[in-house]
Amino acid sequence: MRSLLSFFALVWAVAVSAISTTGDRLLVVLDDVADQSSYSKFLGDLTSLSPCPLSVLRYWPRRGFKLSFETPKSESLSLFHLGERAYDHVILFPSKSKGLGPNLTANLLLQFINANGNILLTLSSGSSTPSSIVSLLAELDIQLPADRTGLVVDHFNYDAASAADQHDVLLLPAPHSIRPDIKDFFGAGASSNEVLVFPRGVGATLGSGELLTPIVRAPRTAYSYNPKEQGEVVDDLFAAGEQLALAAAFQARNSARLALVGSAELLEDAWFDAEVKTTSGQAAKTFNREFAKRLSGWAFQEIGVLRVNWIEHHLNEVGASNESNPGIYRIKNDVTYTISLSEWSWSSWSTFKVPANDALQLEFSMLSPFHRLDLALDPSHSTAEAAAYTASFKLPDQHGIFNFKINYKRPFFTNVEEKNTVSVRHMAHDEWPRSYVISGAWPWITGIGATVAAWLAFCALWIYSAPIDQKKGAKKL
Amino acid sequence: MRFQQQSFASAALLALATASGLASAAASSWGFDDASLSIAARKGSEGIKEKLNQKTPLATPVALGSADSLKVALTAKDNGKGKRPHQAFVVLRDQDSGLEAPFPLTVKENGKAVVQISQKDLPAQLLLAGKPLKASVVIASFGSATGLNTPAFEVEIRLDPATPLPNYEKPLRYGKRPEIHHIFRSDPRSPPKVISLFFTLAVAATVPALFIGWALLGANLNHLTKALGAAPLSHASFFGSIVAMEFVFFMYYTSWNLFQTLPAAVVVGAVAVLSGTKALGEVQSRRLAGER
Amino acid sequence: MAPKNRNNRDVTPSAASTAQTSATSSGSAPQAAVSTSAKPAVNKSVSSSSSSKQDWNSVVVNLANSYRDSAPQRTKLIDAFMTFLVVAGALQFLYCVVAGNYPFNAFLSGFSATVGQFVLTASLRIQTTEANKSDFPSVSPERAFADFVFCSLVLHFFCVNFIN
Repeated sequence: MRSLLSFFALVWAVAVSAISTTGDRLLVVLDDVADQSSYSKFLGDLTSLSPCPLSVLRYWPRRGFKLSFETPKSESLSLFHLGERAYDHVILFPSKSKGLGPNLTANLLLQFINANGNILLTLSSGSSTPSSIVSLLAELDIQLPADRTGLVVDHFNYDAASAADQHDVLLLPAPHSIRPDIKDFFGAGASSNEVLVFPRGVGATLGSGELLTPIVRAPRTAYSYNPKEQGEVVDDLFAAGEQLALAAAFQARNSARLALVGSAELLEDAWFDAEVKTTSGQAAKTFNREFAKRLSGWAFQEIGVLRVNWIEHHLNEVGASNESNPGIYRIKNDVTYTISLSEWSWSSWSTFKVPANDALQLEFSMLSPFHRLDLALDPSHSTAEAAAYTASFKLPDQHGIFNFKINYKRPFFTNVEEKNTVSVRHMAHDEWPRSYVISGAWPWITGIGATVAAWLAFCALWIYSAPIDQKKGAKKL
Repeated sequence: MRFQQQSFASAALLALATASGLASAAASSWGFDDASLSIAARKGSEGIKEKLNQKTPLATPVALGSADSLKVALTAKDNGKGKRPHQAFVVLRDQDSGLEAPFPLTVKENGKAVVQISQKDLPAQLLLAGKPLKASVVIASFGSATGLNTPAFEVEIRLDPATPLPNYEKPLRYGKRPEIHHIFRSDPRSPPKVISLFFTLAVAATVPALFIGWALLGANLNHLTKALGAAPLSHASFFGSIVAMEFVFFMYYTSWNLFQTLPAAVVVGAVAVLSGTKALGEVQSRRLAGER
Repeated sequence: MAPKNRNNRDVTPSAASTAQTSATSSGSAPQAAVSTSAKPAVNKSVSSSSSSKQDWNSVVVNLANSYRDSAPQRTKLIDAFMTFLVVAGALQFLYCVVAGNYPFNAFLSGFSATVGQFVLTASLRIQTTEANKSDFPSVSPERAFADFVFCSLVLHFFCVNFIN
């Protein structure tokens, strides 16, 4: 009985802690609050129990967001209360209105990001994008098609079941990472039979900044056009192929996140369980539900969040004291640096594994780095929820104030920037090799010895030597 | 809006159906014909004109100079019948990076389409591409007709050597950076031991040489007995203290620190001063006696 | 320093000092002759240089003879010690030139031991030479020797300390 009780206590504890690392207040902005019924599965996943990979506990873990629903024009809608964020996260569903009103201006949304708030932003080709969204995205260097309307079509990869004529329901393979050194957050584990359905969405082009990362790129043959003006033929092309980002991630320097999805319809219940048919006639299941969960989980800091547990550096020399984090070292000392990192994934802290082709790098720098070294996993200091990475190296032969610097900024991971300052001093006068150790000094040591020996003999001679010619000595007087 | 589109598409579908019958409508496909590729130089030099084939791409790359313009003209056909597709692109692709630049063709109602591309239309990354650009033709539209995406030719970019290279900086990306290992100043090295040993012996040999020289000059210690007889204690302790002082220095060199050395030096020094006055007084008396 | 003192020594005529003063005075005269006669004509300068070479030879022989005959034995012992110091110092310097100056502090202390000892011995020689007695009326040879011992010990300490 007691064990059962404690088991429930444990479940409860985990369930309570199993939320985003930055908070659970989630604001959902919809044109019409009644529209939420079409997203009920997506929103339900955010709040309530979601299916668990362990079949024993069918509903585990809880994502546990507290949802508030507002319309853009609502008087009571305010992102801030008394200068503090009133919500931790915001989902913006497409709105038919031209702007989003005075409570959701681009400036306010930017302030929200600057205050570590996260935003999941959805667009739709059905309505033109509100101006405040356009200027917010422009601020982040994300461009939308001209006239705020665009539709992505692909005549080669469409759902033959629902859009045989229009070709505007794109079927995409599960989105794997665009670079080999980026962790595959969104497409990992997807079976080849699953496709991501992207219905009637807007594509955006991303600027060249390092804060932006495409999550889903359009196929090579897809293109975006303006259905109002270019119904007959595409004469002026906004963007085509992989230039078009269908879903994109923006992570600010403060690690606040904005995820952009070109198609709000992607999150609708209808597509979560839909059966689609590829152009070659094969039936396929949709990956949308899992993708929606992962995308919102990323945006709301449930995955890809890194934590530095501790940093330790010490002298790595035989016979030296093993003091942790000393403030001063000597040039050419052998030093070991260790950093412990954890990664939050959905419900718990786990060991952070550096992606295969990536490396966690340590810089030892004064103004510019003298060393930049890849850290290696140190299993002896790692635990079940923290991985220790370590590097041992020889300090440069340059004295001064140096930093142990970790600057780990990678797409989809929160930024890790750690700086530990130490002084590096000269050799002390008694730390140099003794002269007799250096063979080059032998003649000079002998020189001193010879001088001293001869001098002693000379002193004896001077005091005790009798003149050989007594007469001359007498004459001298 | 969507209605208009739909009406267009269904019209296309209708046309298809009437052209080739409903059964074959699903299997209809886009293609092109009468295609030509020409390169016109701006200043009079002879242009190139090649026929393009839907099935086989051109074997050799065509060269596009800085003043030239490349023109692709074709007639888009749906199942052999000239028609206007919604999508008619020439796509240039950098073989190394996979970067693509699409160029939409201007299409007339009857499917005649044309596009002109010159170097200034190309993004800098493509201009700087190492290999010839692969050009493919994409023709597709709404409805059931399958699209066409076929490689057509290759373009080699000939940059004008007179103008500076277009400047393109790789965008900054977060990622692994090259490792840096500090290059240490090389340790000072001792000369060969043979040379050191030779000079050590040479320097050491000067001492016996000095003794021999002194012996030749008739040096002696004949007054030692006399001095010891006159002032045994002071002479012994004076010379002893000088030797002891050198011994203190030797101990300082080998093992002692300054705080062990200084007291010893003070004691020895005091002995030397006290005994020295007496011993040197004896020496003076010998000198005054005319013995020195 | 030393020749100047010798020149001043004319007041006390001893055998050695007179020989030395005559040597130095005769030594300076042909030098001046060379420098003035070198200007007007070439052949003249050749003849004069050959004659001055002869002069120099005789001067050196003269000097050596008078030193051997008239310098006190104690002075010769000091001179032998100084010669030893010069040779030991020269060897160390030569080693530095041949084999490089690493470790430099060792070179400095080894070389300066001989140089410093040479300087101290030279001042002992000056202060104890009979002929210079009038220059140091208050310094007895024994006092000079005591100073010499003290300074030498300080020098040795410096060298031992500096060579590390």
